[in-house]
Amino acid sequence: MSAQQERIVATAVVPLDFTYNYRVGQYVERYIKGLGQKKIMGVKCPGDASVIVPPRKYCGRCNEIMNEWVEVGPEGTIENFTIAHVNLNKGVVEKADTEYIVALVKLDGATSLLPAKVLGVSPVDVEVGMRVKAVFKDPVEDSLEDLSHFEPAG
Amino acid sequence: MRNVGIIGVGYTPVFVSKRKDVNIPEMISEAVDAAFRNTKLTPDDIDAITFGNMQTFEGVNMPHLWAADHMRALDKPYMRIATGGTTGMSTLHSAYYHVASGLHDVVMAITWEKQSEGDSQVGLSGIVMPEAMVMVQHGMDLFGGKGMGAMGGGSTGAAAYQAMSYLHHSGADPEHIDKMAALERSNAALNPYAHLRKKTTVADIQATPFVSWPLRFGHTCPTSDGATVAIVASEEMVEKLADSVAWINGVGCATSDPATVNFIEGQITDPAEQEPARMASSKAYAMAGIKDPSKEIDMAEMYNGFAHQSLMWLEKLGLCKEGEAHKMLDAGALNIDGELPTNASGGVFSTNAIGASAMNRPTECALQIMRKIEGGHQIPKKIKNAVSHGWGGMFQYVTVTVLGDEPRHGQG
Repeated sequence: MSAQQERIVATAVVPLDFTYNYRVGQYVERYIKGLGQKKIMGVKCPGDASVIVPPRKYCGRCNEIMNEWVEVGPEGTIENFTIAHVNLNKGVVEKADTEYIVALVKLDGATSLLPAKVLGVSPVDVEVGMRVKAVFKDPVEDSLEDLSHFEPAG
Repeated sequence: MRNVGIIGVGYTPVFVSKRKDVNIPEMISEAVDAAFRNTKLTPDDIDAITFGNMQTFEGVNMPHLWAADHMRALDKPYMRIATGGTTGMSTLHSAYYHVASGLHDVVMAITWEKQSEGDSQVGLSGIVMPEAMVMVQHGMDLFGGKGMGAMGGGSTGAAAYQAMSYLHHSGADPEHIDKMAALERSNAALNPYAHLRKKTTVADIQATPFVSWPLRFGHTCPTSDGATVAIVASEEMVEKLADSVAWINGVGCATSDPATVNFIEGQITDPAEQEPARMASSKAYAMAGIKDPSKEIDMAEMYNGFAHQSLMWLEKLGLCKEGEAHKMLDAGALNIDGELPTNASGGVFSTNAIGASAMNRPTECALQIMRKIEGGHQIPKKIKNAVSHGWGGMFQYVTVTVLGDEPRHGQG
Protein backbone atom coordinates (compact mmCIF):
# COMPACT_ATOMS: atom_id res chain seq x y z
CA MET A 1 0.00 0.00 0.00
CA SER A 2 1.45 3.38 -0.98
CA ALA A 3 2.00 6.18 1.49
CA GLN A 4 -0.67 8.21 -0.26
CA GLN A 5 -3.26 5.47 0.20
CA GLU A 6 -2.19 5.06 3.81
CA ARG A 7 -3.08 8.71 4.53
CA ILE A 8 -6.70 8.35 3.39
CA VAL A 9 -7.25 5.32 5.59
CA ALA A 10 -8.64 6.62 8.86
CA THR A 11 -10.27 4.89 11.77
CA ALA A 12 -12.85 6.34 14.13
CA VAL A 13 -11.83 4.82 17.45
CA VAL A 14 -14.83 4.46 19.78
CA PRO A 15 -13.63 3.28 23.20
CA LEU A 16 -16.97 2.20 24.65
CA ASP A 17 -16.53 0.72 28.09
CA PHE A 18 -19.84 -0.59 29.36
CA THR A 19 -20.49 -2.29 32.65
CA TYR A 20 -23.65 -4.34 32.86
CA ASN A 21 -25.19 -5.53 36.10
CA TYR A 22 -27.16 -8.72 35.54
CA ARG A 23 -29.32 -10.02 38.38
CA VAL A 24 -28.52 -13.68 38.82
CA GLY A 25 -32.18 -14.42 39.56
CA GLN A 26 -34.00 -16.19 42.36
CA TYR A 27 -32.59 -19.64 41.68
CA VAL A 28 -28.91 -18.76 41.49
CA GLU A 29 -29.35 -16.39 44.44
CA ARG A 30 -30.39 -19.33 46.56
CA TYR A 31 -27.58 -21.44 45.08
CA ILE A 32 -25.00 -18.84 46.12
CA LYS A 33 -26.45 -18.71 49.63
CA GLY A 34 -25.99 -22.51 49.72
CA LEU A 35 -22.33 -22.18 48.72
CA GLY A 36 -21.95 -19.78 51.64
CA GLN A 37 -22.85 -22.77 53.86
CA LYS A 38 -20.50 -25.05 51.87
CA LYS A 39 -23.50 -26.81 50.32
CA ILE A 40 -24.13 -27.29 46.59
CA MET A 41 -27.85 -27.01 45.92
CA GLY A 42 -29.73 -28.14 42.83
CA VAL A 43 -33.37 -28.40 41.82
CA LYS A 44 -35.30 -31.51 40.85
CA CYS A 45 -37.79 -31.66 37.98
CA PRO A 46 -41.14 -33.18 39.02
CA GLY A 47 -41.50 -34.50 35.47
CA ASP A 48 -38.34 -36.41 34.57
CA ALA A 49 -36.52 -36.25 37.93
CA SER A 50 -33.55 -34.35 36.43
CA VAL A 51 -31.46 -32.64 39.09
CA ILE A 52 -29.99 -29.46 37.67
CA VAL A 53 -26.98 -27.60 39.09
CA PRO A 54 -26.67 -24.65 39.12
CA PRO A 55 -30.43 -24.50 39.47
CA ARG A 56 -32.83 -22.96 36.99
CA LYS A 57 -36.58 -22.48 36.98
CA TYR A 58 -37.92 -24.55 34.08
CA CYS A 59 -37.24 -28.02 32.76
CA GLY A 60 -37.34 -27.42 29.01
CA ARG A 61 -38.09 -31.05 28.26
CA CYS A 62 -41.10 -31.33 30.56
CA ASN A 63 -42.20 -27.68 30.60
CA GLU A 64 -42.40 -28.05 34.37
CA ILE A 65 -41.37 -25.59 37.05
CA MET A 66 -38.62 -27.12 39.16
CA ASN A 67 -39.08 -26.23 42.83
CA GLU A 68 -37.80 -29.15 44.86
CA TRP A 69 -34.37 -28.22 46.26
CA VAL A 70 -31.84 -30.99 46.81
CA GLU A 71 -28.28 -30.96 48.05
CA VAL A 72 -25.78 -32.62 45.69
CA GLY A 73 -22.08 -33.51 45.85
CA PRO A 74 -19.66 -32.51 47.26
CA GLU A 75 -18.09 -35.43 45.40
CA GLY A 76 -18.63 -36.14 41.76
CA THR A 77 -17.24 -37.73 38.61
CA ILE A 78 -15.35 -36.17 35.70
CA GLU A 79 -17.51 -36.72 32.61
CA ASN A 80 -15.47 -34.69 30.11
CA PHE A 81 -12.44 -32.43 30.27
CA THR A 82 -10.16 -30.20 28.29
CA ILE A 83 -6.59 -29.12 28.93
CA ALA A 84 -6.38 -25.39 28.43
CA HIS A 85 -3.11 -24.15 26.94
CA VAL A 86 -4.25 -20.52 26.73
CA ASN A 87 -6.02 -17.87 28.72
CA LEU A 88 -8.27 -15.29 27.19
CA ASN A 89 -7.69 -11.89 28.66
CA LYS A 90 -10.22 -9.28 27.49
CA GLY A 91 -10.36 -10.82 24.06
CA VAL A 92 -6.62 -11.41 23.77
CA VAL A 93 -5.43 -15.01 23.71
CA GLU A 94 -2.39 -15.48 25.91
CA LYS A 95 -0.34 -18.60 26.44
CA ALA A 96 -1.02 -19.93 29.94
CA ASP A 97 1.97 -20.15 32.30
CA THR A 98 1.06 -23.76 32.90
CA GLU A 99 -1.52 -25.95 31.23
CA TYR A 100 -4.58 -26.47 33.40
CA ILE A 101 -7.50 -28.84 33.54
CA VAL A 102 -11.08 -27.70 33.17
CA ALA A 103 -13.54 -30.54 33.61
CA LEU A 104 -17.26 -31.08 33.34
CA VAL A 105 -18.13 -32.65 36.67
CA LYS A 106 -21.30 -34.62 37.39
CA LEU A 107 -21.88 -34.11 41.09
CA ASP A 108 -23.29 -37.07 43.00
CA GLY A 109 -27.06 -36.73 42.90
CA ALA A 110 -27.08 -34.37 39.91
CA THR A 111 -27.90 -35.13 36.28
CA SER A 112 -26.31 -31.98 34.83
CA LEU A 113 -22.66 -30.99 34.49
CA LEU A 114 -20.70 -28.25 36.20
CA PRO A 115 -17.51 -26.90 34.63
CA ALA A 116 -14.73 -26.35 37.09
CA LYS A 117 -10.98 -26.22 37.44
CA VAL A 118 -9.44 -29.40 38.74
CA LEU A 119 -6.24 -29.03 40.79
CA GLY A 120 -4.06 -31.63 42.42
CA VAL A 121 -3.79 -33.87 39.36
CA SER A 122 -1.49 -33.57 36.37
CA PRO A 123 -2.94 -33.05 32.87
CA VAL A 124 -1.38 -36.35 31.78
CA ASP A 125 -3.18 -38.25 34.55
CA VAL A 126 -6.68 -36.78 34.31
CA GLU A 127 -9.31 -39.08 32.85
CA VAL A 128 -13.03 -39.44 32.34
CA GLY A 129 -14.52 -41.29 35.29
CA MET A 130 -12.09 -39.85 37.82
CA ARG A 131 -13.68 -39.10 41.20
CA VAL A 132 -13.27 -35.54 42.48
CA LYS A 133 -14.55 -33.45 45.36
CA ALA A 134 -15.42 -29.80 45.72
CA VAL A 135 -13.04 -27.53 47.61
CA PHE A 136 -14.57 -24.45 49.23
CA LYS A 137 -12.94 -21.19 50.16
CA ASP A 138 -12.23 -20.77 53.84
CA PRO A 139 -13.71 -18.56 55.12
CA VAL A 140 -16.62 -18.44 52.70
CA GLU A 141 -17.91 -15.06 51.57
CA ASP A 142 -21.39 -15.75 50.06
CA SER A 143 -20.17 -15.57 46.50
CA LEU A 144 -19.90 -17.90 43.51
CA GLU A 145 -16.20 -18.08 44.19
CA ASP A 146 -16.88 -19.93 47.45
CA LEU A 147 -16.74 -23.09 45.33
CA SER A 148 -13.07 -22.70 44.52
CA HIS A 149 -12.19 -25.82 42.49
CA PHE A 150 -12.24 -29.61 42.53
CA GLU A 151 -9.49 -32.03 43.52
CA PRO A 152 -9.15 -35.82 43.45
CA ALA A 153 -11.42 -37.49 46.02
CA GLY A 154 -10.20 -39.95 48.60
CA MET B 1 -46.73 -23.02 -0.15
CA ARG B 2 -44.94 -21.68 -3.24
CA ASN B 3 -41.68 -22.98 -4.63
CA VAL B 4 -38.73 -20.64 -4.17
CA GLY B 5 -35.34 -20.62 -5.86
CA ILE B 6 -32.02 -18.86 -5.40
CA ILE B 7 -31.48 -17.01 -8.69
CA GLY B 8 -28.26 -15.22 -7.89
CA VAL B 9 -25.46 -14.78 -5.42
CA GLY B 10 -23.08 -11.91 -4.76
CA TYR B 11 -19.89 -11.96 -2.69
CA THR B 12 -17.53 -9.20 -1.69
CA PRO B 13 -14.49 -9.52 -4.01
CA VAL B 14 -12.46 -10.96 -1.13
CA PHE B 15 -12.88 -12.36 2.38
CA VAL B 16 -9.88 -11.26 4.44
CA SER B 17 -8.83 -10.39 7.99
CA LYS B 18 -9.14 -6.63 7.61
CA ARG B 19 -10.91 -4.53 4.99
CA LYS B 20 -9.44 -1.19 6.03
CA ASP B 21 -10.24 0.45 2.69
CA VAL B 22 -14.03 0.53 3.18
CA ASN B 23 -16.50 1.12 6.00
CA ILE B 24 -19.23 -1.34 6.94
CA PRO B 25 -22.01 -0.19 4.55
CA GLU B 26 -19.52 0.22 1.70
CA MET B 27 -18.22 -3.30 2.20
CA ILE B 28 -21.69 -4.86 2.25
CA SER B 29 -22.73 -2.85 -0.82
CA GLU B 30 -20.01 -4.60 -2.83
CA ALA B 31 -21.84 -7.90 -2.37
CA VAL B 32 -25.20 -6.27 -3.17
CA ASP B 33 -23.71 -4.84 -6.37
CA ALA B 34 -22.27 -8.24 -7.26
CA ALA B 35 -25.69 -9.88 -6.81
CA PHE B 36 -27.28 -7.28 -9.12
CA ARG B 37 -24.48 -7.72 -11.64
CA ASN B 38 -24.73 -11.51 -11.60
CA THR B 39 -28.53 -11.56 -12.00
CA LYS B 40 -28.86 -8.48 -14.26
CA LEU B 41 -31.60 -7.31 -11.88
CA THR B 42 -31.98 -3.76 -10.59
CA PRO B 43 -33.19 -2.50 -7.20
CA ASP B 44 -36.64 -2.02 -8.76
CA ASP B 45 -36.93 -5.80 -9.13
CA ILE B 46 -36.54 -6.37 -5.36
CA ASP B 47 -39.74 -6.46 -3.27
CA ALA B 48 -38.25 -6.83 0.19
CA ILE B 49 -34.92 -7.26 1.95
CA THR B 50 -33.69 -9.32 4.88
CA PHE B 51 -30.39 -8.43 6.50
CA GLY B 52 -28.31 -10.32 9.02
CA ASN B 53 -25.13 -10.16 11.05
CA MET B 54 -24.05 -11.24 14.51
CA GLN B 55 -25.33 -9.45 17.55
CA THR B 56 -22.72 -7.35 19.36
CA PHE B 57 -19.71 -8.10 17.19
CA GLU B 58 -19.26 -4.62 15.70
CA GLY B 59 -21.22 -2.91 18.46
CA VAL B 60 -23.64 -1.43 15.92
CA ASN B 61 -27.17 -2.09 17.07
CA MET B 62 -29.00 -1.11 13.88
CA PRO B 63 -26.54 -1.73 11.09
CA HIS B 64 -29.33 -2.39 8.59
CA LEU B 65 -30.67 1.13 9.05
CA TRP B 66 -27.19 2.66 8.94
CA ALA B 67 -26.70 0.86 5.65
CA ALA B 68 -30.25 1.27 4.25
CA ASP B 69 -29.24 3.40 1.26
CA HIS B 70 -26.20 1.27 0.47
CA MET B 71 -28.52 -1.77 0.49
CA ARG B 72 -30.89 0.00 -1.97
CA ALA B 73 -33.57 -0.64 0.67
CA LEU B 74 -35.38 2.71 0.78
CA ASP B 75 -39.18 2.39 0.69
CA LYS B 76 -39.05 -1.40 0.93
CA PRO B 77 -39.98 -3.92 3.64
CA TYR B 78 -36.69 -4.50 5.47
CA MET B 79 -35.82 -6.48 8.58
CA ARG B 80 -32.73 -7.55 10.46
CA ILE B 81 -32.25 -11.14 11.61
CA ALA B 82 -29.79 -12.20 14.31
CA THR B 83 -29.62 -15.78 15.59
CA GLY B 84 -25.91 -16.13 16.37
CA GLY B 85 -23.72 -18.28 14.14
CA THR B 86 -26.78 -19.37 12.19
CA THR B 87 -27.67 -15.77 11.28
CA GLY B 88 -26.73 -16.15 7.62
CA MET B 89 -29.05 -19.06 7.06
CA SER B 90 -31.82 -17.60 9.21
CA THR B 91 -31.64 -14.50 6.99
CA LEU B 92 -32.00 -16.71 3.91
CA HIS B 93 -34.86 -18.63 5.56
CA SER B 94 -36.61 -15.35 6.29
CA ALA B 95 -36.33 -14.37 2.61
CA TYR B 96 -37.64 -17.83 1.72
CA TYR B 97 -40.66 -17.38 4.05
CA HIS B 98 -41.36 -13.97 2.46
CA VAL B 99 -41.69 -15.60 -0.96
CA ALA B 100 -43.07 -19.06 -0.08
CA SER B 101 -45.92 -17.37 1.79
CA GLY B 102 -46.96 -15.47 -1.32
CA LEU B 103 -46.43 -12.06 0.26
CA HIS B 104 -43.48 -11.14 -1.99
CA ASP B 105 -42.03 -12.40 -5.28
CA VAL B 106 -38.36 -11.40 -5.28
CA VAL B 107 -36.43 -10.91 -2.02
CA MET B 108 -32.79 -10.09 -1.36
CA ALA B 109 -31.04 -11.63 1.66
CA ILE B 110 -27.94 -9.74 2.79
CA THR B 111 -25.45 -11.16 5.28
CA TRP B 112 -22.08 -9.90 6.42
CA GLU B 113 -19.53 -9.41 9.15
CA LYS B 114 -16.63 -7.05 9.55
CA GLN B 115 -15.00 -8.73 12.49
CA SER B 116 -11.87 -6.60 12.34
CA GLU B 117 -13.86 -3.60 13.58
CA GLY B 118 -15.25 -5.15 16.72
CA ASP B 119 -14.33 -7.53 19.46
CA SER B 120 -15.61 -10.96 18.62
CA GLN B 121 -14.61 -12.59 21.91
CA VAL B 122 -16.52 -9.92 23.81
CA GLY B 123 -19.33 -10.54 21.33
CA LEU B 124 -19.24 -14.23 22.13
CA SER B 125 -19.22 -13.45 25.84
CA GLY B 126 -22.36 -11.41 25.26
CA ILE B 127 -24.06 -14.42 23.74
CA VAL B 128 -23.51 -16.73 26.68
CA MET B 129 -23.87 -14.00 29.28
CA PRO B 130 -25.24 -13.73 31.79
CA GLU B 131 -25.63 -17.47 32.38
CA ALA B 132 -22.05 -18.33 31.61
CA MET B 133 -20.79 -15.93 34.21
CA VAL B 134 -22.45 -18.02 36.86
CA MET B 135 -20.46 -21.01 35.75
CA VAL B 136 -17.27 -19.27 34.85
CA GLN B 137 -16.94 -17.62 38.20
CA HIS B 138 -16.40 -20.92 39.96
CA GLY B 139 -12.86 -20.17 40.93
CA MET B 140 -12.24 -18.32 37.72
CA ASP B 141 -11.99 -14.68 36.93
CA LEU B 142 -14.11 -13.92 33.91
CA PHE B 143 -12.53 -10.77 32.57
CA GLY B 144 -9.22 -10.97 34.35
CA GLY B 145 -6.21 -13.09 33.54
CA LYS B 146 -8.21 -16.31 33.38
CA GLY B 147 -10.97 -14.77 31.27
CA MET B 148 -13.37 -17.37 29.86
CA GLY B 149 -11.25 -19.85 31.77
CA ALA B 150 -14.00 -22.41 32.14
CA MET B 151 -14.16 -22.52 28.39
CA GLY B 152 -10.42 -23.01 28.24
CA GLY B 153 -10.01 -20.18 25.75
CA GLY B 154 -13.23 -18.75 24.35
CA SER B 155 -15.31 -20.79 21.94
CA THR B 156 -12.39 -23.08 21.14
CA GLY B 157 -12.42 -24.33 24.70
CA ALA B 158 -16.15 -24.93 24.67
CA ALA B 159 -15.81 -26.84 21.38
CA ALA B 160 -13.01 -28.91 22.90
CA TYR B 161 -15.50 -30.80 25.06
CA GLN B 162 -17.55 -31.47 21.95
CA ALA B 163 -14.48 -32.73 20.09
CA MET B 164 -13.63 -35.02 23.02
CA SER B 165 -17.11 -36.48 22.94
CA TYR B 166 -17.07 -36.86 19.15
CA LEU B 167 -13.74 -38.73 19.24
CA HIS B 168 -14.97 -40.96 22.05
CA HIS B 169 -18.24 -41.94 20.35
CA SER B 170 -17.02 -42.21 16.77
CA GLY B 171 -13.78 -44.07 17.29
CA ALA B 172 -11.99 -41.44 15.20
CA ASP B 173 -8.44 -40.41 16.15
CA PRO B 174 -7.23 -36.84 16.69
CA GLU B 175 -5.33 -37.37 13.40
CA HIS B 176 -8.67 -37.47 11.59
CA ILE B 177 -9.29 -33.90 12.77
CA ASP B 178 -5.89 -32.95 11.32
CA LYS B 179 -6.75 -34.69 8.08
CA MET B 180 -10.16 -32.99 7.71
CA ALA B 181 -8.50 -29.65 8.49
CA ALA B 182 -5.88 -30.20 5.77
CA LEU B 183 -8.54 -31.25 3.23
CA GLU B 184 -10.70 -28.19 3.83
CA ARG B 185 -7.81 -25.72 3.83
CA SER B 186 -6.63 -27.25 0.56
CA ASN B 187 -10.17 -26.89 -0.88
CA ALA B 188 -10.16 -23.25 0.25
CA ALA B 189 -6.94 -22.71 -1.70
CA LEU B 190 -9.04 -23.26 -4.86
CA ASN B 191 -11.82 -20.86 -3.81
CA PRO B 192 -11.29 -17.17 -4.63
CA TYR B 193 -13.87 -16.20 -1.97
CA ALA B 194 -12.11 -18.13 0.81
CA HIS B 195 -10.00 -16.37 3.42
CA LEU B 196 -7.20 -18.83 4.30
CA ARG B 197 -6.13 -20.00 0.86
CA LYS B 198 -3.08 -22.15 1.28
CA LYS B 199 -2.64 -25.76 0.28
CA THR B 200 -2.17 -27.43 3.64
CA THR B 201 -0.84 -30.80 4.74
CA VAL B 202 -1.56 -32.86 7.84
CA ALA B 203 1.98 -32.07 9.00
CA ASP B 204 1.27 -28.32 8.66
CA ILE B 205 -1.76 -28.71 10.94
CA GLN B 206 0.15 -30.87 13.43
CA ALA B 207 2.86 -28.21 13.69
CA THR B 208 0.39 -25.72 15.24
CA PRO B 209 0.12 -25.40 19.06
CA PHE B 210 -2.71 -26.74 21.16
CA VAL B 211 -5.39 -24.30 22.31
CA SER B 212 -7.51 -26.71 24.33
CA TRP B 213 -6.89 -30.42 24.05
CA PRO B 214 -7.69 -32.01 21.59
CA LEU B 215 -8.03 -28.84 19.50
CA ARG B 216 -5.02 -27.09 18.01
CA PHE B 217 -4.76 -23.60 16.57
CA GLY B 218 -4.80 -25.29 13.17
CA HIS B 219 -8.26 -26.70 13.94
CA THR B 220 -9.88 -23.31 14.42
CA CYS B 221 -11.53 -20.89 12.01
CA PRO B 222 -10.23 -17.40 11.20
CA THR B 223 -12.15 -14.18 11.74
CA SER B 224 -12.98 -12.55 8.43
CA ASP B 225 -14.40 -9.42 6.88
CA GLY B 226 -16.84 -10.03 4.03
CA ALA B 227 -20.45 -10.14 2.86
CA THR B 228 -22.71 -12.49 0.92
CA VAL B 229 -26.00 -11.74 -0.78
CA ALA B 230 -28.57 -14.13 -2.25
CA ILE B 231 -31.62 -13.21 -4.31
CA VAL B 232 -34.58 -15.58 -4.06
CA ALA B 233 -37.66 -15.64 -6.28
CA SER B 234 -40.98 -17.39 -6.72
CA GLU B 235 -41.32 -20.06 -9.42
CA GLU B 236 -43.18 -17.64 -11.68
CA MET B 237 -40.49 -14.97 -11.32
CA VAL B 238 -37.72 -17.52 -11.78
CA GLU B 239 -39.15 -18.19 -15.24
CA LYS B 240 -39.34 -14.46 -16.01
CA LEU B 241 -36.06 -13.24 -14.55
CA ALA B 242 -33.50 -15.99 -14.15
CA ASP B 243 -31.06 -17.73 -16.45
CA SER B 244 -30.22 -20.29 -13.77
CA VAL B 245 -31.65 -21.35 -10.44
CA ALA B 246 -31.10 -23.62 -7.45
CA TRP B 247 -34.32 -24.50 -5.67
CA ILE B 248 -34.73 -24.22 -1.93
CA ASN B 249 -36.61 -27.47 -1.44
CA GLY B 250 -36.45 -27.90 2.30
CA VAL B 251 -35.80 -25.72 5.33
CA GLY B 252 -35.58 -26.62 9.00
CA CYS B 253 -34.39 -25.15 12.25
CA ALA B 254 -34.49 -26.27 15.87
CA THR B 255 -33.16 -25.37 19.27
CA SER B 256 -32.45 -27.59 22.24
CA ASP B 257 -31.81 -26.89 25.88
CA PRO B 258 -30.68 -23.29 26.23
CA ALA B 259 -28.34 -24.25 29.06
CA THR B 260 -25.03 -22.49 28.82
CA VAL B 261 -23.21 -23.54 25.68
CA ASN B 262 -25.71 -26.34 25.47
CA PHE B 263 -24.17 -28.82 27.87
CA ILE B 264 -23.64 -27.10 31.19
CA GLU B 265 -26.39 -26.76 33.74
CA GLY B 266 -29.15 -28.25 31.59
CA GLN B 267 -30.39 -31.74 30.79
CA ILE B 268 -27.87 -32.30 28.00
CA THR B 269 -24.64 -33.82 29.22
CA ASP B 270 -23.13 -34.73 25.85
CA PRO B 271 -21.81 -31.69 23.97
CA ALA B 272 -21.86 -33.71 20.76
CA GLU B 273 -25.48 -34.82 21.15
CA GLN B 274 -26.78 -31.98 18.95
CA GLU B 275 -30.33 -33.30 18.73
CA PRO B 276 -31.47 -30.09 16.91
CA ALA B 277 -29.36 -31.17 13.94
CA ARG B 278 -31.47 -34.30 13.63
CA MET B 279 -34.72 -32.37 14.16
CA ALA B 280 -33.92 -29.61 11.67
CA SER B 281 -32.52 -31.93 9.00
CA SER B 282 -35.44 -34.40 9.27
CA LYS B 283 -37.84 -31.54 8.67
CA ALA B 284 -35.86 -30.20 5.72
CA TYR B 285 -35.42 -33.63 4.12
CA ALA B 286 -39.15 -34.39 4.50
CA MET B 287 -40.05 -31.08 2.84
CA ALA B 288 -37.66 -31.81 0.00
CA GLY B 289 -38.98 -35.35 -0.47
CA ILE B 290 -35.62 -36.88 0.48
CA LYS B 291 -36.13 -40.31 2.03
CA ASP B 292 -32.55 -41.51 2.50
CA PRO B 293 -30.13 -38.58 2.70
CA SER B 294 -27.12 -40.92 2.74
CA LYS B 295 -28.06 -42.01 -0.80
CA GLU B 296 -29.84 -38.96 -2.25
CA ILE B 297 -27.64 -36.06 -1.15
CA ASP B 298 -24.81 -35.32 -3.59
CA MET B 299 -22.81 -32.74 -1.62
CA ALA B 300 -22.67 -31.23 1.86
CA GLU B 301 -21.70 -27.82 3.21
CA MET B 302 -21.35 -28.11 6.98
CA TYR B 303 -20.92 -25.23 9.44
CA ASN B 304 -17.60 -25.96 11.07
CA GLY B 305 -15.95 -23.37 13.24
CA PHE B 306 -13.70 -26.25 14.30
CA ALA B 307 -12.27 -29.01 12.15
CA HIS B 308 -13.85 -31.97 13.96
CA GLN B 309 -17.30 -30.61 13.26
CA SER B 310 -17.62 -31.43 9.55
CA LEU B 311 -17.23 -35.09 10.45
CA MET B 312 -19.59 -34.85 13.40
CA TRP B 313 -22.30 -33.07 11.42
CA LEU B 314 -22.23 -35.58 8.55
CA GLU B 315 -23.29 -38.16 11.13
CA LYS B 316 -25.83 -35.93 12.88
CA LEU B 317 -27.46 -34.97 9.57
CA GLY B 318 -27.92 -38.61 8.56
CA LEU B 319 -25.44 -38.47 5.68
CA CYS B 320 -23.70 -41.53 7.09
CA LYS B 321 -24.00 -43.76 10.14
CA GLU B 322 -22.53 -42.74 13.49
CA GLY B 323 -18.84 -43.51 13.49
CA GLU B 324 -18.62 -43.65 9.68
CA ALA B 325 -17.62 -40.09 8.75
CA HIS B 326 -13.92 -40.50 9.50
CA LYS B 327 -13.88 -43.72 7.48
CA MET B 328 -15.39 -41.84 4.53
CA LEU B 329 -12.64 -39.25 4.97
CA ASP B 330 -9.99 -42.00 4.88
CA ALA B 331 -11.59 -43.46 1.76
CA GLY B 332 -11.49 -40.11 -0.05
CA ALA B 333 -15.30 -39.88 -0.21
CA LEU B 334 -15.31 -36.33 1.16
CA ASN B 335 -12.92 -34.96 -1.49
CA ILE B 336 -14.19 -32.61 -4.20
CA ASP B 337 -14.26 -35.53 -6.63
CA GLY B 338 -15.50 -38.01 -4.04
CA GLU B 339 -18.87 -39.61 -3.39
CA LEU B 340 -20.01 -36.94 -0.91
CA PRO B 341 -17.93 -33.81 -1.46
CA THR B 342 -17.95 -32.02 1.91
CA ASN B 343 -17.04 -28.36 2.27
CA ALA B 344 -15.62 -28.04 -1.23
CA SER B 345 -15.63 -24.32 -0.39
CA GLY B 346 -13.20 -24.80 2.50
CA GLY B 347 -16.00 -24.32 5.02
CA VAL B 348 -16.40 -21.87 7.86
CA PHE B 349 -13.14 -23.36 9.02
CA SER B 350 -11.36 -21.43 6.23
CA THR B 351 -13.59 -18.34 5.93
CA ASN B 352 -15.60 -16.89 8.78
CA ALA B 353 -17.28 -13.54 8.25
CA ILE B 354 -19.61 -14.95 10.84
CA GLY B 355 -22.93 -13.30 9.93
CA ALA B 356 -22.36 -14.57 6.38
CA SER B 357 -20.94 -17.96 7.39
CA ALA B 358 -24.24 -19.85 7.53
CA MET B 359 -25.28 -18.12 4.26
CA ASN B 360 -22.12 -19.19 2.44
CA ARG B 361 -23.12 -22.81 2.94
CA PRO B 362 -26.37 -22.65 0.86
CA THR B 363 -24.89 -20.14 -1.62
CA GLU B 364 -22.00 -22.56 -2.23
CA CYS B 365 -24.55 -25.35 -2.82
CA ALA B 366 -26.58 -23.10 -5.14
CA LEU B 367 -23.56 -22.15 -7.24
CA GLN B 368 -22.42 -25.79 -7.36
CA ILE B 369 -25.90 -26.81 -8.61
CA MET B 370 -25.90 -23.97 -11.20
CA ARG B 371 -22.29 -24.91 -12.12
CA LYS B 372 -21.30 -21.29 -11.66
CA ILE B 373 -18.42 -21.86 -9.23
CA GLU B 374 -15.53 -19.47 -9.75
CA GLY B 375 -12.09 -20.90 -9.07
CA GLY B 376 -11.07 -24.54 -9.03
CA HIS B 377 -13.49 -26.21 -6.65
CA GLN B 378 -16.43 -27.00 -8.94
CA ILE B 379 -17.61 -30.50 -8.05
CA PRO B 380 -17.25 -32.56 -11.23
CA LYS B 381 -20.38 -34.71 -10.82
CA LYS B 382 -23.91 -33.42 -11.38
CA ILE B 383 -25.48 -32.14 -8.17
CA LYS B 384 -29.14 -33.02 -7.89
CA ASN B 385 -29.58 -32.50 -4.14
CA ALA B 386 -27.35 -30.61 -1.72
CA VAL B 387 -27.57 -30.06 2.02
CA SER B 388 -26.28 -27.02 3.87
CA HIS B 389 -26.15 -26.51 7.60
CA GLY B 390 -25.72 -23.74 10.13
CA TRP B 391 -24.84 -23.99 13.83
CA GLY B 392 -24.98 -21.29 16.42
CA GLY B 393 -27.02 -19.73 19.15
CA MET B 394 -25.45 -20.73 22.45
CA PHE B 395 -24.19 -23.88 20.70
CA GLN B 396 -27.68 -25.34 20.54
CA TYR B 397 -29.36 -23.83 17.49
CA VAL B 398 -29.24 -25.53 14.09
CA THR B 399 -30.52 -24.51 10.66
CA VAL B 400 -30.65 -26.73 7.58
CA THR B 401 -31.41 -25.93 3.94
CA VAL B 402 -31.81 -28.59 1.26
CA LEU B 403 -31.30 -27.35 -2.28
CA GLY B 404 -32.07 -29.08 -5.56
CA ASP B 405 -31.74 -28.72 -9.30
CA GLU B 406 -35.50 -29.15 -9.67
CA PRO B 407 -38.35 -27.61 -7.65
CA ARG B 408 -40.44 -29.61 -5.23
CA HIS B 409 -43.39 -31.41 -6.77
CA GLY B 410 -46.64 -32.21 -5.07
CA GLN B 411 -45.67 -31.72 -1.42
CA GLY B 412 -47.75 -29.39 0.77
